[in-house]
Amino acid sequence: MSHRLRTWTYYGVLWLVSLLFFSPVAWIILSSFKTRNDILATPPKLVFTPTLDNYIDLFTRNTSFLLQLGNSILLSVSAVVIAVFVSFLAAFCFSRFKPKGTDFLMFLLLSIRMLPGPAVILPVFLMYVAFGWKDNHLALILFYAMFSIPFSVWILKGFLDGVSTRFDETGRVNGGSWFHVIFKVVLPQVKPGLIAAFIFNLIFVWNEFLFNFIIGGVTTQNIPYALAVGAYSDGGLNWTFISALTSIYIVPPVLFIYFFQKYLLVGMTFGTVRGEV
Amino acid sequence: MSSRLMPGVLDNRRFLVFALLVPVLAFFVVFNTIPTLWLLGLSFHKFSLISGMPPEFFGLRNFEDIYYNKNGIWGDLGRTFLFVGVGVTVQTVLGVLLGFLFWGSKDMPGRRIALTLLFTPMVLTPVATGTFFRFIYDPTFGVLNALLTGGLGMGVVDFLGNPKIAYWAVLAVDCWMWTPFMTLMTLAALGSVPKAELEAAEIDRLSWPKRISLVIWHHGKFILMLGILLRTIDAFKTLDLIIPMTKGGPGQTTRLVAVELNKQSFESFNMGWSSAYSVLLLLISIAMTSIFIYILNRRRRAR
Repeated sequence: MSHRLRTWTYYGVLWLVSLLFFSPVAWIILSSFKTRNDILATPPKLVFTPTLDNYIDLFTRNTSFLLQLGNSILLSVSAVVIAVFVSFLAAFCFSRFKPKGTDFLMFLLLSIRMLPGPAVILPVFLMYVAFGWKDNHLALILFYAMFSIPFSVWILKGFLDGVSTRFDETGRVNGGSWFHVIFKVVLPQVKPGLIAAFIFNLIFVWNEFLFNFIIGGVTTQNIPYALAVGAYSDGGLNWTFISALTSIYIVPPVLFIYFFQKYLLVGMTFGTVRGEV
Repeated sequence: MSSRLMPGVLDNRRFLVFALLVPVLAFFVVFNTIPTLWLLGLSFHKFSLISGMPPEFFGLRNFEDIYYNKNGIWGDLGRTFLFVGVGVTVQTVLGVLLGFLFWGSKDMPGRRIALTLLFTPMVLTPVATGTFFRFIYDPTFGVLNALLTGGLGMGVVDFLGNPKIAYWAVLAVDCWMWTPFMTLMTLAALGSVPKAELEAAEIDRLSWPKRISLVIWHHGKFILMLGILLRTIDAFKTLDLIIPMTKGGPGQTTRLVAVELNKQSFESFNMGWSSAYSVLLLLISIAMTSIFIYILNRRRRAR
């Protein structure tokens, strides 16, 4: 009996810790169902009559919201699809043929992700201004794709190294073309790597604000951009809008880590650590 | 391996290697190599986008300016290293403790949901996090002050407006976001310890400090070190979180290197100086990457 009690206390503590970490987020979600007066009430109200007005307002009254949400989806999905595809090819090459300079290239790729954002974007900004590429969806997508490549190459190379070269050899000996070997034989075996690379770059681009702000512009703005420049402030900050907006915006990343929890570790360490939690 | 293949295929293979690498290389030359060279060149020039003058060769003057503390960057570097040092230490200690706490929870009901809740902070949009922490920290209608005054009977604290507290308030948010990451790494490190060795330690009745130092540390140290290093690098880059919360203020108290670089390059458009500063940061980040790869290689060799 006491053993069971101890187990349940233990689980209770774990749940409490998890809820404690989630509580600031929970507070924002709660706030998004409050009216303007309830949100600014002192002391803050825990009990109130929930309302969906903030969400309805967001979709109907604020026209730029749909543009920003659309941009967020378009930019992140297309950039990451391009990045994962080209990275898969490069990672296959690095893993199988080990051309001269592989280590150096892998190092170079990684060092880009280690540099503070403004230092990365500064020369790109000058280039984009000079060529007139600023505030252009395609130019921004290509840049985001470049920035997602290092991550994807590192993750995918780790997974490809784990696939035995016997598969390639068997495929080749049986008369398969390289195309066949790469896409039909090897690709299906690194599906977890592809998913991890896809999800974690998606979360990154989804959350990214600086690059969008600097080399994007009004037509390419995503939601972090809008939040950072205070697009939802009239005088003070418009907390009803912001709480509803944030609550919607964090849904995809949270769902991802729920459904793809086993890729979390691989994703957060760009493939250098494997395993499940 | 190539000796087993026909000579014709060898050419073909060289072509294949090239063809596979071209897309990534093209991306890199256009969006990284050329801009980086441009950056290097610009760091020796005086160039402001506001004046409208073409870049003027400046020699090492930009670097001298940095050395002689123009725009107070040594203060920023100091603040950033403190931010990294304190932040990563707190996150590591708390994260490791939580990791040990969650270690034996494989059979917990709703474990997946609990872990999702725990790991949520690190996938949140930093800008959104910063914005809503401004709401939580607010002195008049913020929930944290309501808890402090109502629950603990303390006075109202202006977390982000008080120059003495703002830095720590921002750091606390960073810790809230990233402690779960260290928990994740600890769980991974603990998961890499072979079950047989743990059972052997159990049978030998090894004391816990010994179990940790003899068995767990041996297997888990590399993963933990990678985690600490990744956090160090990421904390060094902190920007998105600070912009919506304090923009580097009050005064300069929360101004980290990335914040100042961002301001100098995209608010004052002081491109020459910013380029020189970026070059300096590039060197720091290359050093950090080298350490990371060194530890990664050591781990591979240890296996």
